[in-house]
Amino acid sequence: MKALFLGNVAADTYAGIKDELPPSLECEVLDDPIDRALLPAAARDADILVSNRWFADFPPAPKFRLVQSVATGVELFDQASLPKGCAICNAFGHETAIAEFVVMAMLALHHRFFQIAGEFREDASWAASWVQSGKPHGEVRGSTLGIIGYGRVGREVARRAAPFGCRILAANRSPREKDADVERVYPLSALDEMLPLCDTVAICTALGPETTGLVDARRLGLMKPGAFLINIARGQVIDEDALFAALRDGRLGGAAIDVWWQYPTPAEPNRRGSRHPFHELPNVIVTPHNSGWTAGMVRRRWDEIADNLDRFCRGDSLINLVATI
Amino acid sequence: MKVSFIGSFGARPEVAKTILGKVTEKIEPTVLFDIGDSQRLIPALAEAEIVVSHVWKKDFPAAPRLKLLQSPAAGLDMIDLPSLPHGVTVCNVDGHEQAIAEYCLMTMLALSHKLIDIATGFRDRGSWSGGGAGGGPLHGEILGKTVGIVGYGKIGRETAKRAAAFGCTVIAANRSPVADKGDASEIYPLGELDRMLPRCDIVVIAAGLGPETRGLMDARRLGLMKPTALLINIGRAAIADEEALYAALRDGKIGGAALDVWWRYPNPSEPNARPSALPYHELPNVLMTPHCSSATDGARDRRLSGVARNLDGFVRGDGLRNVVLTT
Repeated sequence: MKALFLGNVAADTYAGIKDELPPSLECEVLDDPIDRALLPAAARDADILVSNRWFADFPPAPKFRLVQSVATGVELFDQASLPKGCAICNAFGHETAIAEFVVMAMLALHHRFFQIAGEFREDASWAASWVQSGKPHGEVRGSTLGIIGYGRVGREVARRAAPFGCRILAANRSPREKDADVERVYPLSALDEMLPLCDTVAICTALGPETTGLVDARRLGLMKPGAFLINIARGQVIDEDALFAALRDGRLGGAAIDVWWQYPTPAEPNRRGSRHPFHELPNVIVTPHNSGWTAGMVRRRWDEIADNLDRFCRGDSLINLVATI
Repeated sequence: MKVSFIGSFGARPEVAKTILGKVTEKIEPTVLFDIGDSQRLIPALAEAEIVVSHVWKKDFPAAPRLKLLQSPAAGLDMIDLPSLPHGVTVCNVDGHEQAIAEYCLMTMLALSHKLIDIATGFRDRGSWSGGGAGGGPLHGEILGKTVGIVGYGKIGRETAKRAAAFGCTVIAANRSPVADKGDASEIYPLGELDRMLPRCDIVVIAAGLGPETRGLMDARRLGLMKPTALLINIGRAAIADEEALYAALRDGKIGGAALDVWWRYPNPSEPNARPSALPYHELPNVLMTPHCSSATDGARDRRLSGVARNLDGFVRGDGLRNVVLTT
């Protein structure tokens, strides 16, 4: 039995779990940048691929029976290039970390935290304090949070936001049983009803045909003036041009953006995440797609991946099965 | 009923005006911002049955008719209780505790997730090394962490409730015995704080300033904290030793801090006064804000409504809320 760990995240995963893997499992690691000359031989006899991608122009991999994603999203695996019967599994462990990020960002936006803390550190400005009659900032209590995508992340967000005294709404593609924390789960088709009610909208959905471009200019226009938008899902859920315009023109109160429309390349490692200068807008918190990347998440995810490889080697049923080719 | 709004808080236009807008009973207000103006302070105190102020000084003129001193704030450390006339009821306000609890969660999250460093590096330099696919060090989280709250009053309880939902273990220390533990799993007497501190990943100072808490977090107690632990102070600056805390942060004896309360405050001649004699603003592991954790629109409304409710209650004689003591 042989496993191919492909790419930098898979290489890190291997380093983290190698002592837990069955001794019978032979492992080969091809780190980034992938040496394409070595790939055909590595792929030819591998039973398991551990990676976050498999592209259409990759060499034949006739023996793959398990593709274990190192992430939750599996959109970078070209399913047509995988052999029939191959199982695709993903990995979690990030949902609690991302939920922490969402609530943190919601608090920071309402409390104008970056602005106040920045001006105090730089200029010793006390303008925000009671001492100098400053304009009060906002709070989360009593506000309405709308969660688009009521899956693992969305539920963890709701659970954490509830004790702050938020009213919580959610929208989901498939019908979902609501938890006590949530007032109502709208079908995604009724998103237009939910958006005007929200002071904060958190996008926690997967990218798919129903969610690509979901939050477009029209739907951004349905949001309350001054409302906040948080995206930890995928950049493509939001129309890039429309969001930039809404933030630049002050129609939205602000945003926290962790996921982007474009990513760095080896040639351009500091590439901006958008063709628009979101990073120059004062009301936007920008982070480099790392909301879930806590030390705890990595440990939880490695444990899940090691467990699944062990299950596969023993012939047990797999966890986190997304699809079988 | 004669009511004097005095000092830089009670007589601030938006404070006095908002309270007066909420009061329904008939009152005769006097508003005096500058308590150094003794020509006007003497009559304002001589006549008043109610004074709305967060400050009462030793050398204040006589207030023979005073029955209620209503602070528009929570802390009474600016009120010199021994110099109040006999028989005065002192009330404070609440409604800030939810806002401050939000601040505590926001800052413990921001420190753990290294939010400012990561967001600033990404904004200013386009750096993707925030621990994700772009590499770089992983950041922390608060799931499973132990939060120790020093001073388990309203703010402490509200903080505990929120932290518990994040999967934190919450413990607390309090001066007086606590009957209802709320979301804390264990309560230490303040005298046993030294046993609590080494357990904590995050220490939140939510105590009032008093003889038992002044200088409480000194060099020795800071040394009992984990080297990775975070300190959040929304109580009063003087609870922490200014020099010892600076040294602990500078030397990495503790992991980081979020500070909202300070040893120095601005004054009219120095409106941009640095908040400490030491350059806290140069420490990379400190989040600092200008005493504004409670300065939310919601807290302001709840507090000023609380003052107005007590003025009405006093006039009608149907009871006061948030009574701290009667002299």
